[in-house]
Amino acid sequence: MLKFLKKYILQLFTVYCREFKLILGDVGIMLFLIFLPIGYPVIYSLIYNPEQVRDVKMVVVDHDRTHLSREMTRNIDATQEAWVIGYAADLPEARRAMDSHKCYAIMEIPEGFERNILEGNQANATIFCESSLLLRYRGFLMAATNVSQAMGAEILTEKINAVAPLATTITDGDLMPIKNISMGNIESGFDSFIMPGVLILILQQCIILATGMAGGAKRERPSLIGYNGVNEEPSILMTMTGQMLCYLTILIVPIIYLIHYVPLMFSFPMAGRFSEIIAFLLPMILASAALGFCLQGIVWERESVFVLWVVTSVVFLFLSGLTWPRYAMSPFWKFISDAVPATWGVEGFIRMNTNGASLAQEASDYRMLWLLAVIYTAAAYCIQRWVVRPSIRRGYNDYDKMRREAF
Amino acid sequence: MKKGFKAIFCRSVLQIVRRPIYWAAFFILPLFCFMFLSGLMENGLPIKVPAAMVDKDGSSMSRGITQNLAGMQLVDITADCNSYTEARHLMQEGKIFGFFMIPENFQQDLLAGRKPVITFYTNMTYFVPASLLFKTFKTTALYTKAGIALNVLESVGATEDEVVPLMQPVNISARAIHNPGLNYAVYLCNSFIPCVLQLMILLVTCFSLGQEIKYGTSRRLLAMADGSILKALAAKILPQTIIWWVIAIFMESWLFKINGYPMHGSWFWITLSELMFVLACQGCAIFFFGILPNLRMSLSVSALLGILSFSIAAFSFPVESMYSAIGIFSWILPIRYNFLIYIDQALNGIDIYYSRIWFVAYIIFMLLPFTVLWNIKRNMAKPVYAP
Repeated sequence: MLKFLKKYILQLFTVYCREFKLILGDVGIMLFLIFLPIGYPVIYSLIYNPEQVRDVKMVVVDHDRTHLSREMTRNIDATQEAWVIGYAADLPEARRAMDSHKCYAIMEIPEGFERNILEGNQANATIFCESSLLLRYRGFLMAATNVSQAMGAEILTEKINAVAPLATTITDGDLMPIKNISMGNIESGFDSFIMPGVLILILQQCIILATGMAGGAKRERPSLIGYNGVNEEPSILMTMTGQMLCYLTILIVPIIYLIHYVPLMFSFPMAGRFSEIIAFLLPMILASAALGFCLQGIVWERESVFVLWVVTSVVFLFLSGLTWPRYAMSPFWKFISDAVPATWGVEGFIRMNTNGASLAQEASDYRMLWLLAVIYTAAAYCIQRWVVRPSIRRGYNDYDKMRREAF
Repeated sequence: MKKGFKAIFCRSVLQIVRRPIYWAAFFILPLFCFMFLSGLMENGLPIKVPAAMVDKDGSSMSRGITQNLAGMQLVDITADCNSYTEARHLMQEGKIFGFFMIPENFQQDLLAGRKPVITFYTNMTYFVPASLLFKTFKTTALYTKAGIALNVLESVGATEDEVVPLMQPVNISARAIHNPGLNYAVYLCNSFIPCVLQLMILLVTCFSLGQEIKYGTSRRLLAMADGSILKALAAKILPQTIIWWVIAIFMESWLFKINGYPMHGSWFWITLSELMFVLACQGCAIFFFGILPNLRMSLSVSALLGILSFSIAAFSFPVESMYSAIGIFSWILPIRYNFLIYIDQALNGIDIYYSRIWFVAYIIFMLLPFTVLWNIKRNMAKPVYAP
């Protein structure tokens, strides 16, 4: 028994050391494991780092030209979201400004705006927003709601006495204050919303791409990198375990950097406990590595992994439920998203990191991650056993075949 | 060895046909992404956002508010919590995206003029559902307030005719032109799907050129073209161009015909834009390859920029809001121009005059490879594979 154990530990150790040497010597894989997790989040975060969409340009068409209409324009201009760049004489002129990309919205104030208010009727104005970017529209909508409420309250206080002289005693101040509180991402910033999820996705993709590329390298030049296709040792299970351990070792620094220092640098919400997050992400990393081993079944050369796998990042981003929530997905897509480690990783991580959930609260996600890790490891074992190893055993044949096919 | 344009062309077609990886890259992956993105967002908006109600009052008035809220189109009141803590825990577990809280003694305080505060919480970690919840919660709260104010004013003797206009004397409505329902699929698929196409074109072009160097077949390629790099490249890339054109035209009809996304302009310009977009992407890829004539490096650059395009091309976060030092990079890839032409010509349907400059940008991308032809030729003549 002891001898048996010793044999396997020795195998594990051999694989671990060999893989370590291999990865450190391979620029391509190092790029995935070191540069990608370190450089990419910074570039990405910088793009969205201004967080808010402020001062979006708009043009005003004021058919009323009265004291109140000008006041409203000033109020709109004073909001954080909108910036009135000027007046246009009529709608066609405003349209021309919008068509030539000088502004993104037109506010039209109809004639009789002030008169309506003074007569005690409702006065209307419309903001026409260009709808290519929803964030811009959202800003204008906020500005419109806030200004119409603030002006409405002011006019109400001014005029209430005329209607009901006693009413001011009751309506003095706000009758029923309404408060809204944003949880988690308290500033409603775009960076703090998208980046925590993207960090986890980057982690998963790094591992899968690196594993996939390592698989390609193994197939292309089995002899150069010390794989022996004829010998049965080291066993498949020990090889996989050794490689996973090796990736984990190399990834320790990038992971700490990704989940602690990147949020720190860009002041993303950090409400979670570091140790719990690490414990949560462990099965995701194992599942990703196992998924990478499965991918080795179709990656025949190192560089194929780019063509076959890079585009999946977009798919996984949407499957994770970060932008398009999971409850709104059809059962089919929900099932697919269940099968992706990053889905559970992203969901759990943002809830822990941003909403301050504990590991116990994410128990169901955590169980799913372990389940995926087990399933993918089993699948990876089968693929390694029946697809990858036989092809390595055939050795140079594959390489020659590819050469012939490439003419 | 056969020589000439036609021979290289046939060789290139055979290469594509024989390797499954090209099948995946040309057809399976892009088409899957097309179906996926528009299929996922079929409903336009993720309505029925799960939310909770924390009614600590339990009076007739507070139950009335709950009923009003539950009747709104955008929310789905899935839980009824007794305390803030309970609701917050549900939110942390991801079961709800927000909650609406009515304080204790709400009705009593309100009638006594003690100004009870209504609070609603939205989990902004999830931007889209939280924004929908925010809108619904705010509307409900405002209507409730207006209703109460109406009652109070009527009780002191004002008539309804006098009071109603006072509730909202100024109304500014914001209209999203050409996408009035704020369909999320229209907004997202029209930018993300072409961006997937760009990514695949960049990768496949670099991959196919890099293969020649990796396997040392580039010398043969050059010999077949009688040493003319231009001829070699053109014949090598042309079969791919044709396939991408077919995919691009399919993409166009997928977006604007099959899915029926807004198309207010001329089909001619949009089609021209898609065709030129393919050429611009290929030009861009050849340029990357010319600078880094190494399979892995050029693929790395293509993948990096291709994926980064989804953010830097400003599909969701506008360029003018980015740091200007970052914002300028949004202009370095063809997808930005495809997006701008789509906005002008399909979504807004304005005159081609306003988009003319974006077409010029395409042409610049197409001309880029000519600056690096010499380097490609040098490396093809002496192929060295660095893993």
